[in-house]
Amino acid sequence: MAAIMTVPPVSRGFRGRTRSGDASNRLPPGQHVTTDFPVLSAGPTPQPHLETWRLSLHHGDSMLAEWSWKEFEALPQSVVTVDIHCVTSWSKLGTTWQGVTIDALLEAAGLSDPPAPFVLIHCDGGYTTNLPAEDVLGGKAMVATRYDEEQLAPEHGGPARLLVPHLYFWKSAKWARRLQFIEDDEPGFWESLGYHMYGDPWREQRYSGD
Amino acid sequence: MTTDHESDSAPPLDGNAVGGLLRELFVLDITAATLTCGGCGITALVGDVRVFGGPMGAIFRCVHCDTAVMRVVHTPTGLWFDMRGARNLHVTPHA
Amino acid sequence: MAIRGESNATPATDVGASSSSRMPWRVAEVTTVIEETPRVRTLVLRVPDWPGHMAGQHVDVRLTGEDGYQAQRSYSIASAPEASRVMLTIERLEDGEVSPYLAAEVRAGDRFELRGPIGRYFVWTAAVGGPLFLIAGGSGIVPLMAMLRHRAAIKSTVPAYFLYSSRTVEDIIYRGELDRLAALRDGLTIYHTFTRQQPEGWTGGARRIDRAMLADACPPRERPRIFICGPTSLVETAAALLLDLGHERGLIKTERFGPTGTMT
Repeated sequence: MAAIMTVPPVSRGFRGRTRSGDASNRLPPGQHVTTDFPVLSAGPTPQPHLETWRLSLHHGDSMLAEWSWKEFEALPQSVVTVDIHCVTSWSKLGTTWQGVTIDALLEAAGLSDPPAPFVLIHCDGGYTTNLPAEDVLGGKAMVATRYDEEQLAPEHGGPARLLVPHLYFWKSAKWARRLQFIEDDEPGFWESLGYHMYGDPWREQRYSGD
Repeated sequence: MTTDHESDSAPPLDGNAVGGLLRELFVLDITAATLTCGGCGITALVGDVRVFGGPMGAIFRCVHCDTAVMRVVHTPTGLWFDMRGARNLHVTPHA
Repeated sequence: MAIRGESNATPATDVGASSSSRMPWRVAEVTTVIEETPRVRTLVLRVPDWPGHMAGQHVDVRLTGEDGYQAQRSYSIASAPEASRVMLTIERLEDGEVSPYLAAEVRAGDRFELRGPIGRYFVWTAAVGGPLFLIAGGSGIVPLMAMLRHRAAIKSTVPAYFLYSSRTVEDIIYRGELDRLAALRDGLTIYHTFTRQQPEGWTGGARRIDRAMLADACPPRERPRIFICGPTSLVETAAALLLDLGHERGLIKTERFGPTGTMT
């Protein structure tokens, strides 16, 4: 059956929310600026206990390092102010985060290089996302524990989430627990449901095939 | 039902609320169908199942054990569907 | 069920429209607008090839702006299956994106896309049986009103109990019609409760729906088919209380207003 390109009727007088285009060279294509901070979750908000919280680095099936909350908080902290871009089209400019860069994590684990070319992030609730290892290094990513100088709220990924602002925000996995370095790229939760494997907002890589 | 309330936080919807999306995929309306969770074996009406993930997609989760029993994403080039978390779906024909 | 922002800049493709199993988008035209309360309006629609519906079902509505921006929401069908036109009743929400358009701007002759009817889960037909126990808050009345209108149209005398929570008496949607339905004395009892301000001389409910109110309206031994619709907090509270009172889980159907934003 041939595909029919239908042009939907315009509803007279309908205007969506005002979408400001002023920050135009800070905005990737198809995005608009928002002043609120929408919450999007693939499942219920987990409520972990900090006494049993652990963050770990793995290479395949081997654990390379593990930190308790106290130990993790004692690692070198970084503060960044970045723009974030959600695949659902909102962008939030100038957001400030504090956490531990993945570079610092690797160093704390005694590694000078990532053990494998890709990394799969595992989170409470079973969420996963995949990235090339080089996209989390060189200061491009951190495990963030504070947003806007406050402890990261549970619905925004607290106590700790990945922050990788140069990619669409679904890659900044909430409730991060394990960073597993793997040899071959493997689609995570949304990537196995039609979203792009890489997710560069500047090339508008929202869905697979984009 | 009206669904125009916008807020920072997105509390879960249910299978009934996303009935339109399901009708893009299923010939029959399955909101009144019975789904058996692959995680805990408990059955529920699809209309009662909690749905997360909007607007990126519809993630149906068992109310008892949170297993993702069904996942649907609508992209510009088609629908992606996954039901690995369900043991089965029982649909009775329309009256 | 409803997108929060634009899907993308290009209009949706519609692959093949002739299969009878598909549920296509149709172009609805507003023929009449009825002011129900200061914030609530009913849109009477002409929908070509409308296949008919059951009481309690809803439609998805899609609006497209001049620049191609699209927004989608779901609305319960207010009209009975017997009515000659499809009617939607919409409350204007302060921070809404679509409701200020549909509940305030829209006028006769305007058009938007609509698909449906959707959902066999939240449906009442005579075959479902009774008694019928309906509970609503605010604009949650809409799908339940379709059920009451259908019940009247088929001249059913199945006992029906309707517990309706509104802020004030001015906020009662379909007020006159509810009074007329109750006056038919066909087995329908309506209980109003007001959460913000009660009318002069009111001796009825003056608080949010609670356990006692639910227990008084219809006891579990009658095994009513229960439909609850309204804001999430009202629906979840009522459902939990009903289970606690001993009503069967399988007889309780819920429909909540959620924030927008699932796929599509």
